[in-house]
Amino acid sequence: MVNLKIDGKEVTVAEGTNLIDAAEAVGVHIPNLCYMKGMKGIGACRLCLVEVEGSKAPVIACNTKVKEGMSILTATDKVVEIRKFVTDLIVSMHPLDCMTCTKAGTCNLQRYAYDFEIKESSFSRKKFGYPTDESNPFIKRDPEYCVLCSRCIRICKAQDTNVLEFAGRGVGAKVVTGNERPLQESGCTFCGSCIDVCPVNALLEADRWRRGREWEYGKTGSVCLSCGSGCSISVSTKDGSVIKINAGAPDGSVERTICAVGRFGFDSLNGEMRIAHPMKRVGGELQETTWDDALKTVAGHLKTAGSDAAIVSSAAILNEDSALLKKLAETIKTKNVDSTVSLYSSYDAMKSGGADIEHADLFLLAGIEPDQWKRVLPAIDAAVRKRVNNGAKLVVIHSGDPKIAAKASVFLKGDEVKMLMEIGQALIAKGAKAPKEMVEALAPVNPSDSAMTAADAFMAAKMPVILSAPSLYKAAANLSLIKGEAVAVPLEANAKGVVAMGLTSDGRKFNEIISSSTKALYAVGEIPVTKRPDTGFLVVQASHMTELATQADVVLPSTPALESEGTMIDWLGRVKKVNRACEPAGDAKPNSNIFMAVAEAVGASLKPVKDADVKKAAKTKAKVAFSAFKRDAAHDVDAEKFMNETNKMTVNGSRLLWLKELECAAVTA
Amino acid sequence: MSETPQKEEAPKKDMKDVLAAVENIKCMVQKSQKFVEEFLSEPMCGKCHPCALGSYEALVRLKRISAGIGKQEDVAAIQRIADDMLESSRCIKGKDTAKFLLNALKTEAFREHLEGHCEERECPAYVIYRVIPEKCVICGLCQDACKYNAIMGQKTVSYRSGYLPFEIRQKRCVKCGDCLPACPYGAIEVIEIKTGVLV
Repeated sequence: MVNLKIDGKEVTVAEGTNLIDAAEAVGVHIPNLCYMKGMKGIGACRLCLVEVEGSKAPVIACNTKVKEGMSILTATDKVVEIRKFVTDLIVSMHPLDCMTCTKAGTCNLQRYAYDFEIKESSFSRKKFGYPTDESNPFIKRDPEYCVLCSRCIRICKAQDTNVLEFAGRGVGAKVVTGNERPLQESGCTFCGSCIDVCPVNALLEADRWRRGREWEYGKTGSVCLSCGSGCSISVSTKDGSVIKINAGAPDGSVERTICAVGRFGFDSLNGEMRIAHPMKRVGGELQETTWDDALKTVAGHLKTAGSDAAIVSSAAILNEDSALLKKLAETIKTKNVDSTVSLYSSYDAMKSGGADIEHADLFLLAGIEPDQWKRVLPAIDAAVRKRVNNGAKLVVIHSGDPKIAAKASVFLKGDEVKMLMEIGQALIAKGAKAPKEMVEALAPVNPSDSAMTAADAFMAAKMPVILSAPSLYKAAANLSLIKGEAVAVPLEANAKGVVAMGLTSDGRKFNEIISSSTKALYAVGEIPVTKRPDTGFLVVQASHMTELATQADVVLPSTPALESEGTMIDWLGRVKKVNRACEPAGDAKPNSNIFMAVAEAVGASLKPVKDADVKKAAKTKAKVAFSAFKRDAAHDVDAEKFMNETNKMTVNGSRLLWLKELECAAVTA
Repeated sequence: MSETPQKEEAPKKDMKDVLAAVENIKCMVQKSQKFVEEFLSEPMCGKCHPCALGSYEALVRLKRISAGIGKQEDVAAIQRIADDMLESSRCIKGKDTAKFLLNALKTEAFREHLEGHCEERECPAYVIYRVIPEKCVICGLCQDACKYNAIMGQKTVSYRSGYLPFEIRQKRCVKCGDCLPACPYGAIEVIEIKTGVLV
């Protein structure tokens, strides 16, 4: 820890902190346009110049580290004049239309112009007449507003999407894409990270015009349940509808990325496939009905079916839902209750612990293929790439050719289990301490040169993190017995919560339920099943009219995550709060409420789940012990296909459909 | 302004070349303008705002002054840009440019220019070329000497009636001075526009 004084206020911060962050700790804001928390300061805007007592020239606060005993002054006449000067220059090349600008209220330039009393620039007005790129439904780029801070370029590069770049220097500089092509032809993933960092109106959600400004929005912190990344999001709502979604992880953390699905998928809340009312099949047709009637019908069939009834659920439901669903199964006396988790993971793997990816200095990816472009665990891909671009090492073990392998210091192509064994043996050969069984099991293995290189990197790392496919978790976790943490990465947001809350099968598993014959089947959420399984009575509880729902006997409308309240456990085992951002559409009800209502109709009463139960469940983590180097082949699954199937309704019901069609066209062309 | 160093070719011009380019200019306004123009053309890296945006603005102001439409506020703006650039720009190149401007501002040149006077006679916009009708004999020698066809008129031819008096078309005149030695009668004069003083 380092002690210093900022404007006379004593502050103690960690070593290596820069002056902007240190000042923030005592509530002093040092103006800046180009600084991004968590990234290296580049000192382009010079607004953050501060004076250090005892030194002659002012220094940039964004890239100056704290020193013991330092005393800095953030608002001397000299630095304030420089800030005014730079702001004045930028205002001279910025449109003065704050009264109609969507960014009014959150615009940093507006803030500083106000602070420095710059009504109009004292310098000559410059206008460029750049065209606006409005050719996609996601991101509007208007270079007229650009203040050349390069935040968008740097965040894009940090994530390795590399779409944006500068052309020209000085006043004539402009943020461009390769050959000035529109974004959709430049390899853009439309994750929108650039929107989050733009300090002005140069990058904005495409549909924001006249849909309210920052101060009119209600803000809700929540979690996106679209995929295994389970990203924190911040939802802005106005008059009961969602206007936009931003990344919600703390500023500066590597997890502060969300993908196009998380940011723009909310359109589907009011999409035409949304189910607003309960439905019941009458004479071969699904017809609207009342909740009472629907519940009575469902309860009747479930009760009659008893132990021949089965329940399957998606793992994108909340912890509370999971616990209640399990209890509901007990109420109707069936053991056949399972979630989609068992399609891609053993229950044990989902009890794996967490890891500190923020500080990890080596990532070992075993059999997973996070990919922002294919939208497979995009936020995990971005986080790993951010860390790697910041100096962390990357070892990729995969039998295919994942895109992230190009980023790896060592890429071991081939059978993942074999590669893990080779690394294990290489580590032992290099003198790492390992359990006796492991040493014995690996004795016959002869590591390749690249495995040796990977082992070197692993040994050198202070905090290695192993991210593995659930099917490889047991094998991969063995390495964590030597060093570091191992995490099984699920494909669905709350897979770990669903398992922790006990929604696991004591009877038939998911696949067996779908492929066998049941008297009644209760399917919850968007599950990767499109054909009606052989069942006497099919209930589908979902927010959207999935293909399965169209074949159901009763359809119960549930609320998607943005309309629900509860908790989830993300891939790193952290409990996150899911908050309701807007009211349910139509008659839709949260999953838990429906489960309780069904139970009541059956003649039992379920108590709501307490927060303490969730906390307790989240704490129980399986201890890593040596197990044979084996692949859990039953749980190998094509992640891309799985995610496409479970996100179909979100994608098809939102502007993402535009992107999907474009991608399909590109593939066929 | 990007954070990652790019593989760019070494700049062809550096600050030495900029200095060399302005070496022979005597008028401080012209010299400063050329200096900033040369600086912006290559050595300016554009990595920080005060220098990248400031030197561009300084050039705008310098051009106004050398075009004869400069005002006190233009000089004040250049002064402010130079002061702040010296203090806040990121590297020595920006600071050197600021220092150059500050030194230029210390001379009398800027004040004189605002009054309409270019001591070194290097600011063409400050003067006007004129034919003195009383002295002109309509010989046409100046017309032959002018490379820019800026002198209008028709010389007298023996035994023919009619002629047009000689005049200089200001729009075409580039103030090169070639006509001055061509006139055997000293019938072309140069006057400072604002002050009306004969040069």
